[in-house]
Amino acid sequence: MSDKPERPARAVKLNVINEPKDSYTGGKSSLCPGCGHDQVSNVIVTAAWESGIEPHRIAKMSGIGCSSKTPAYYLGKSHGFNTVHGRMPSVTTGAYAVNKDLLYIGVSGDGDSASIGIGQLIHAIRRNMDMVYIIENNGVYGLTKGQYSATADIGSKKKKGPINKTQPIDLCALAINLGCTFVARSFSGSKKQLNSLIKAAMSHKGFALIDVISPCVTFNNNDESMKSYGYVKENEITLHMADYIPHFNPITEVEVPEGHYRDITLHDGSTIRLETISEEHDPADAVAALTALHNAESDAKHVTGLLYFDNTKASLAEDLGLIEKALIDVPDEELRPSQSVLDEINSAFMG
Amino acid sequence: MEAIANDFTINIATANGTGSQSANLILLQSIFDMGVPASGKNLFPSNISGLPTWYIVRLSDMGYQAPGDRNHIQVLVNPATWDEDLASLEPGSVVIWNENAKKEMTREDVVSYPIPMSALARKINPKIAKLVTNIIYVGALAEVLGIDQEVLEASVAKQFKGKDTAIELNITALGLGRDYFRENLEKKDPYTIEARERKSKQFFIDGNEAVALGSHFGGVQMLAWYPITPSSSIAEGIIAWSPKLRTDEEGSTNCSIIQAEDELAAAGMVLGAGWAGGRGMTATSGPGISLMQEFIGLGYFAEIPSVFWDVTRVGPSTGLPTRTQQSDIAMLYEGSHGDTQHIVLIPGTVEECFEFGWRIFDYAERYQTPVFGMSDLDLGMNRWACNGFEYPSEPMDRGKVVRDQKTFDAFEDFGRYLDVDGDGIPYRTLPGSGMAPILYRGTGHNTKGVYSEKPEDYLALMTRLKNKIEGARDNLPAPILREEKECEIGIIYLGSMENTIQEIDDLLESTGLKVSQCRIRALPAHSEIVNFVERHEHTIILEINRDGQLYGILRKELPNNLVSRVHSVAYSDGMPPRARIYADRILAKLEEVNQ
Repeated sequence: MSDKPERPARAVKLNVINEPKDSYTGGKSSLCPGCGHDQVSNVIVTAAWESGIEPHRIAKMSGIGCSSKTPAYYLGKSHGFNTVHGRMPSVTTGAYAVNKDLLYIGVSGDGDSASIGIGQLIHAIRRNMDMVYIIENNGVYGLTKGQYSATADIGSKKKKGPINKTQPIDLCALAINLGCTFVARSFSGSKKQLNSLIKAAMSHKGFALIDVISPCVTFNNNDESMKSYGYVKENEITLHMADYIPHFNPITEVEVPEGHYRDITLHDGSTIRLETISEEHDPADAVAALTALHNAESDAKHVTGLLYFDNTKASLAEDLGLIEKALIDVPDEELRPSQSVLDEINSAFMG
Repeated sequence: MEAIANDFTINIATANGTGSQSANLILLQSIFDMGVPASGKNLFPSNISGLPTWYIVRLSDMGYQAPGDRNHIQVLVNPATWDEDLASLEPGSVVIWNENAKKEMTREDVVSYPIPMSALARKINPKIAKLVTNIIYVGALAEVLGIDQEVLEASVAKQFKGKDTAIELNITALGLGRDYFRENLEKKDPYTIEARERKSKQFFIDGNEAVALGSHFGGVQMLAWYPITPSSSIAEGIIAWSPKLRTDEEGSTNCSIIQAEDELAAAGMVLGAGWAGGRGMTATSGPGISLMQEFIGLGYFAEIPSVFWDVTRVGPSTGLPTRTQQSDIAMLYEGSHGDTQHIVLIPGTVEECFEFGWRIFDYAERYQTPVFGMSDLDLGMNRWACNGFEYPSEPMDRGKVVRDQKTFDAFEDFGRYLDVDGDGIPYRTLPGSGMAPILYRGTGHNTKGVYSEKPEDYLALMTRLKNKIEGARDNLPAPILREEKECEIGIIYLGSMENTIQEIDDLLESTGLKVSQCRIRALPAHSEIVNFVERHEHTIILEINRDGQLYGILRKELPNNLVSRVHSVAYSDGMPPRARIYADRILAKLEEVNQ
């Protein structure tokens, strides 16, 4: 039901469904200037636009925190739900259970996902619900003014307060261990990689988790912080270059790489092409993915790229045994069993 | 000795996990099938196997369904509670006891029927003797009380539908119990069962299964649940009926069923389904509702249709998980932090469990808010006589949802939270529709759904929400009144107390006190409640809890001049309500008031 505009006189670039990029933007951000989250929002806008998804077919979901405020800043033509702290996965599950035809994009933070909502995240992964789950991970609680979160690295120090000594929770490692079917890590400063990963996640059927290191410029961007812009830029290990080739335009101007590359075909026919940089990484190999994470952690580095991918598992809709049509499109008369069925039940009970 | 027919109570003491439940249900069904009004109450522990369980069968031509004041017939199988059970009996009571339980009969003032239940059971099959023992006492009881063999066998067939070996085995065991009594003992007690002609056809069903069926006839599209006694059988009922009622020829269903990781997630899923435009529900008990509080507030504030069934049990905390109480009234009505007010439907019969089971979705969608069904363990898990379920009398009410562009365009200025009709109920569009998308939120918002901290926006929103729920009062199920003419005393009660109220009423009448009855069936309370209080000099608010939660709510909402005319009688010891306890307390309260 999107109102497709007539092609305007001035040459505005349109996507494959003739929508200008403006159809995917949102309100003005109220986050701190320079916040990593705003960069992620911009990439979401670009990725959704480039993928040619009708904006109204997207549902944007979030919990509570700085990250969870961002759905107001992108996809203004999509319905959204800014729910409660850490509980966005369950709300999304309920919505999905009655309308599996929407593309659910959840945005969460490290407080949301690694602490208060870790249980819901785990169970959403376990159900392999179709959704894109982006964590904007900065190691601190921003909205309550800079307390450490459960993803703060050991030895890292935020602007104010002591050095963090508590073992962090690596959400990517957790997800891989849980059998999550799409696990990636990225950096808000790596727009191109993030763009490819988000598009690939949107093409994936099942739960796609992208943990994006997204520095907090106000409370955790000092030199001693391991989640500052400067630190991540210098200590990022990129597993591979990632290029997304959409199903509707398979011969885009993707440069053929000189070295090796690996193509992964996604559910909607699109491809993510992973070009080897140094050592080859096989995303089907969970142990290799965990090893990469472990090695990076030992060296106080951040490894980014598509860590793990599995397209063999059934998604939640299949497990629920649902009819083809989204349940909200079923007419009332079909939802309510007939009078004769009730008569039958009554007489069977009467014996 | 004069015979006492159809007016006595049988108490059966067993251990749980020994199959006594099926034996007891066969007994209850047989009595019921002889046309005798009877009720069964299962007092079971929070345990799977080995702890004491009592099953109380009340027979009453008067239709009384409470457990009664005393046991007339005691069946003793469980050595663990033997001495206590025996000591509690009044002289002259009948005791049918297992001679092989390694316990003695220590009372001489009772009618004693020793039966070697275990030995008889071992004769059939030593491996399952423990299970069969229970059927032996049903056989003996049948002989003592005069239950027809044909009726008994039909009940066995009903209980073990299709399982021929089980049916055969149980019938043999019944025969052994019956024959043993006939051949070795002599009836020395006055209790008998006389067959009665029943006016209309009835069947037995528990409240939870009735809610489950009602939910399907309400077109539930998503059930999210987390197991908790005493509500699990609502979810399990929905699951059990789903293949027959909600599944097509290919085996695909139009009802999603998700066992959640906890009650918080279950509540989140219900809200998600409602937000997306579907009919979502959960079933839980008090501890679950405690966990759901945050989402309940979100549902109220963001105005999301959502359905929550609370089958209440004894609190606070884990409390007595397998005992009954009406102690969640206040929590449901004003659930979550901040100023809130919720619609609560309170069935008192299994027929209403079914009816409210489908209606609840209409209320949730009409008022775009969380709606609670409040049942309790007594109503939900015990079997009650049912006259049959009536088909929904009206089509589904899906509320103010704008489903097409033409309707949408007719709005001058659409706002998700704009009160267009003056009833406080705004219009909504659904995700995926492309119409007026907003970011739903639990933060303060203006009529467009945009974040706002402006005092005027907050005040307007809270006032409209108040008006919206206020407006539901007289559209909710009206109270059921049974009024005496020119009567000075009224009793307001709710829920499963319906099964005890008549006996209370008769007990009061036996002291010369005539009362009117008013059963409240929903909150916020119907305006008829105010009229009822006005018509009576004194009104007792009767409830199964300690604090008088309903009394607290009504006191706050009644006009000032009526407040002094309502009085609380609230009592709960975890047991199903016994009429005499409440009748005595009502009399005491009135005496106090009249002083």
